[in-house]
Amino acid sequence: MPPPQLTDIDLSRLGMEVPLPRIDHALKELWEQDRAKTRASLVNFAIYTEDPCSLARNMEMLESITAEHACRAILILNLPDGNANAPRAYINALCRPYQGQQVVCSEQLCFILEKGTALQVQNMVFAHLDADLPLVLWWQGSLTQHFDERLHSRVQTLIVDSSRWTDPAAELDALSEALESRTSHFDVRDLSWTRSHFLRLALAGCFQDAQALAQLPQIDRIEISHAKGQRSAGLLLGAWVAGRMQGELQSAGEEPVFARPDGPSITLHLQESPDGPALSSLTLSGMNVQIHVSRDGESRFVHVCAHCTSHEHEEVFPADVESDAELIGEQLSRAGGRTLYASMIPVLRRLV
Amino acid sequence: MENPFQETLFHRNQAEPCTMVIFGATGDLTHRKLIPALYNLAASGDLPPHFQCIGFARRDKTDPDFRSELETANRKYSRQTHSDELWQRFEQSIHYHRSEFQDLEGYRSLKDALDRFDQQRGAPANRLFYLASAPEFFKPILELLKQAGLNEAPEGRWARVVCEKPFGKDLTTARALNEVVSQTFEEKDTYRIDHYLGKETAQNIMVLRFANALFEPNWNSRYIDHVQITCAENLGMEGGRGGYYDTAGALRDMVQNHLFQLLSLVAMEPPTDLSADSVRDEKVKVIRSLRRWVGPEAVGHNVVRAQYTAGSVDGVERVGYRQEDRVNPESNTECYVALRLYVDTWRWQGVPFYIRVGKQLPKKATEISVHFKKPPQVPFATASMLSNSENTLVIRIQPDEGIALRILCKQPGQALIMQPVKMDFQYSSSFGKASPEAYERLLLDAMLGDATLFARRDEVENAWKFIDELEHAWHQSAHPPPMCEYPAGSWGPKEADELLAQDGRQWRLL
Repeated sequence: MPPPQLTDIDLSRLGMEVPLPRIDHALKELWEQDRAKTRASLVNFAIYTEDPCSLARNMEMLESITAEHACRAILILNLPDGNANAPRAYINALCRPYQGQQVVCSEQLCFILEKGTALQVQNMVFAHLDADLPLVLWWQGSLTQHFDERLHSRVQTLIVDSSRWTDPAAELDALSEALESRTSHFDVRDLSWTRSHFLRLALAGCFQDAQALAQLPQIDRIEISHAKGQRSAGLLLGAWVAGRMQGELQSAGEEPVFARPDGPSITLHLQESPDGPALSSLTLSGMNVQIHVSRDGESRFVHVCAHCTSHEHEEVFPADVESDAELIGEQLSRAGGRTLYASMIPVLRRLV
Repeated sequence: MENPFQETLFHRNQAEPCTMVIFGATGDLTHRKLIPALYNLAASGDLPPHFQCIGFARRDKTDPDFRSELETANRKYSRQTHSDELWQRFEQSIHYHRSEFQDLEGYRSLKDALDRFDQQRGAPANRLFYLASAPEFFKPILELLKQAGLNEAPEGRWARVVCEKPFGKDLTTARALNEVVSQTFEEKDTYRIDHYLGKETAQNIMVLRFANALFEPNWNSRYIDHVQITCAENLGMEGGRGGYYDTAGALRDMVQNHLFQLLSLVAMEPPTDLSADSVRDEKVKVIRSLRRWVGPEAVGHNVVRAQYTAGSVDGVERVGYRQEDRVNPESNTECYVALRLYVDTWRWQGVPFYIRVGKQLPKKATEISVHFKKPPQVPFATASMLSNSENTLVIRIQPDEGIALRILCKQPGQALIMQPVKMDFQYSSSFGKASPEAYERLLLDAMLGDATLFARRDEVENAWKFIDELEHAWHQSAHPPPMCEYPAGSWGPKEADELLAQDGRQWRLL
């Protein structure tokens, strides 16, 4: 019987169901069926979720990700409210044409657990990795459950999305604890932070202009427009911008204030927009200066408008990363190493 | 003041405001490569802010005409899909400047235009001059740039020049051109472009060698038997190319620059750091260490030159080289060359490097193959079982960029039979995302001031020094080595096969 809330249509998309002990054998048979297929893999990419409604979304995302990133994709759906049935496994090949002649495929494994324990989750991930390749794990569940040391000690890159956290403070505490663990070596990436990448890119480009740069000390206000549910993305962006201007968080609250050793304090104002992208605009303003970075609707570009005393300038920058699949793709394209994000966790913790 | 948002944001820096002037802006290179490269840099957010591009050429044209032509070309040649929204913005930065290359007034008015852009920006910008014109105009362009004061950067900024190939046609002309360049720009501001170095797999050679402990300890004469570098083209003199090619030939057109660059990357010692000069110091040592072939006898023994005769490529009939459009019917220009080279260093003592390049070969492919020595003794194999089965590392430069390694394995079964198997890595199937075009990387590097992937003066001159001796033996000796022949569509002349057969080796089958 299918687990609760999962339809046969959902399950049919997962590929061929196979008994757990036969997974490796079944994968081998899958490749032997068609000699025209090329198996390619650079990374193990695993998703852990406890939301049955996310199955279709995650499947679509994996198809999109594997089109550009050859990986062994592992999807683990743990249903805390299930009936404690035996775990079920499915295998599939996500294929894309290459040069019109051959087909390049990534392997996909899907596990459905019911009332899965931390140990089961670990085993599902570890037992089915493509050996010697790094493990990138997108943890869509709560970091306060099942994300224990044995698991994260084997992870190279952990992906989270802080905009989905119901209790950001508890999640950040769990994340900090994991990062400080003696055995952890993982790098953390937050999709909320990645969402602001195009705005940061445009802002940095804008301040390559010497005139705009000279006005930087005058800036005393940061305004950010974000979509509903994307406040953490706005906070992260605002904290980063203030931090780069030597601002130290002075007071949190509705309008956080950052004090600067030289120059006026900076006030961060977040505004929720009824529609539009996760982050639709960033404005830096002060005496005789305003830098406005904005993205209109579905545009794949962001417009930068800089007004200084006797100077006005406009530029266009790319803003083509928006969907979860694109955001993950961005992360998979980057080399490892501790990111800027990890250093911002203490500030973010104070802000939430 | 440093841009604080720049510092921790990117894996690489973003260039500072810059105006680029393209000399010969109505030519093919601008339409097919330069403008699409700039557009793609804009699309990926890598173009510097306040960027302006001025096309400098002789034909009468307005800005709208020029932009319209470039838009058509960009739709056709851009790596990324053409976006009207981006183009509308991008084209505002493109301007046309009509002038003869030898007219000083044209340069003075160019200076006025550049100053005007600086005024609009509110601050002076860097200046990048790109010589994409016919090579005979390089000298007057450089001289007039100097006379107009354009070689001097505004205070706190830089002025650089990018020179397209060919950089001279022999040592004398290259030196003369270098003299003109050095009187106009400092060497650190001179970027001699070789688009092969912008290719992803060429850049990967250093990573493969120096970031993998597996290869570098074996990368020497103790373990490597020989190296082959092949650049095969399945085209001839289409599109009127014969006019230029017949004055150059395969040796000057390909070996002196592209193939010597690849050879340098394969044979160089590890640089002390990744600065442009450290890398280029090591590369130039390779060229200086090449054993010279002086005189017709030595050249004839180690170098094979040839022309194709009528034949067929991919089932299509092709005429012989001397019957090609714009080629002298009595031409003595080679369109195929194979060389046996030795790099006389400790590392490479006794290891031959075989290089071949040719037109009208069966397929288009550029690759480097490193052939390892056979193990001294394999207890379970007879000598015949090991023939033609050495470990081979193949670095495919184009097309189908990737790396393959051939190793020996036991064939399943009762008998102990060994078979070579190939482990193949392909950039496209593994990384999915298309690599940036070589010109994107090189233009950005020139704006950023990173000259690592550009040829330095001594590299160019030492390469010409070697090439000139071969050319001299072919064209100025009393008894020159013969011009061989091969039918179009074949893998070159039989004499090239014999070149390797003399050493008990054979060309790798591509």
